[in-house]
Amino acid sequence: MDIEIEFITSDVLEGKTPEEKMEFLLEKIKDDKIIVVEESLSSQEEVLLIEATMKQISKRFPGIEVSTLRERSAEGFKEKLIKMLGGRTGGLTVIGPSKLVKKIKKEPQKISILAGEKDKEREK
Amino acid sequence: MSFRKLLFNWFKRIFRRRKLIRLGLYGPPNAGKTTLANKISMDWTGTPVGSVSEIPHETRSVQKKEKVVVRSDGQKIEMNLLDMPGIATKVDYEDFMKYGMDAKEARQRAKEATKGVIEAIKWLEHVDTALVVIDATEDPYTQVNITIIGNLEARDIPVIIVANKIDLKEAEPDRIREAFPQHPVVEISAMTGKNIDDLYQAIAKHSR
Repeated sequence: MDIEIEFITSDVLEGKTPEEKMEFLLEKIKDDKIIVVEESLSSQEEVLLIEATMKQISKRFPGIEVSTLRERSAEGFKEKLIKMLGGRTGGLTVIGPSKLVKKIKKEPQKISILAGEKDKEREK
Repeated sequence: MSFRKLLFNWFKRIFRRRKLIRLGLYGPPNAGKTTLANKISMDWTGTPVGSVSEIPHETRSVQKKEKVVVRSDGQKIEMNLLDMPGIATKVDYEDFMKYGMDAKEARQRAKEATKGVIEAIKWLEHVDTALVVIDATEDPYTQVNITIIGNLEARDIPVIIVANKIDLKEAEPDRIREAFPQHPVVEISAMTGKNIDDLYQAIAKHSR
């Protein structure tokens, strides 16, 4: 089975409310895509994503696997300036359907994913 | 930490200290939250909070035990104990069938489990202190653990991390300390009661 990975820039999500953002991402994941977003979700966005996922769980969609690499802390002058101007200082989010993502291994600065079709044939 | 911040935190602690606190037990499914809630409740009230099972998502709605009084180091903490459903990013009904459930029963359990996860998330705003229970035999650096702790931190809720299941030889509680160095970590076995007094001391020290 082919696995589609979609890379999304943060510009695509700009202007969306957190709820709209989660719906946008979930629609793609339910289409069996693994999404890599060029920004880290905040803790509050992460629980919104879990909540939205729980509301949509079905026989065909048992949930998601998600992992986030946080933005660099805004300690340096450059990072502070970028933040003050409304910019982002890095970060990454990977989300995929749990039926395709077998395992996500997260480390502070690295995410690795093992993806593939699971051994079982899901009931239609 | 600056003197101003120290003073601010001290005042905040004094004025936010409540007579009755809501102590929430958070964590992923099967970390031992209900076993721990039962241990605390049995120790101080003589009655349990909820039922325990090896099947994930046994707790599918918030279980409460009101007015549990814990005494440690000369302090008395009166609390409402809130045993939360496990927080997860997936609930696959087929996983329940591996434990012998038929499809209908498994789907019903999955439906209830998803509601339980949402309920646990809603309660994040309403607890005063949180015990985040982590299975010490598992990798602690998971997104669910990070998300729970991140949300509690964002709400300025005191967090005590419970490294549970240290009675098992695969337990590696040091990994939990390394993953979350910003919070107190208490190593216990909720099943055997090992180090449970250390947890009561931590609750007395960090609750507000």
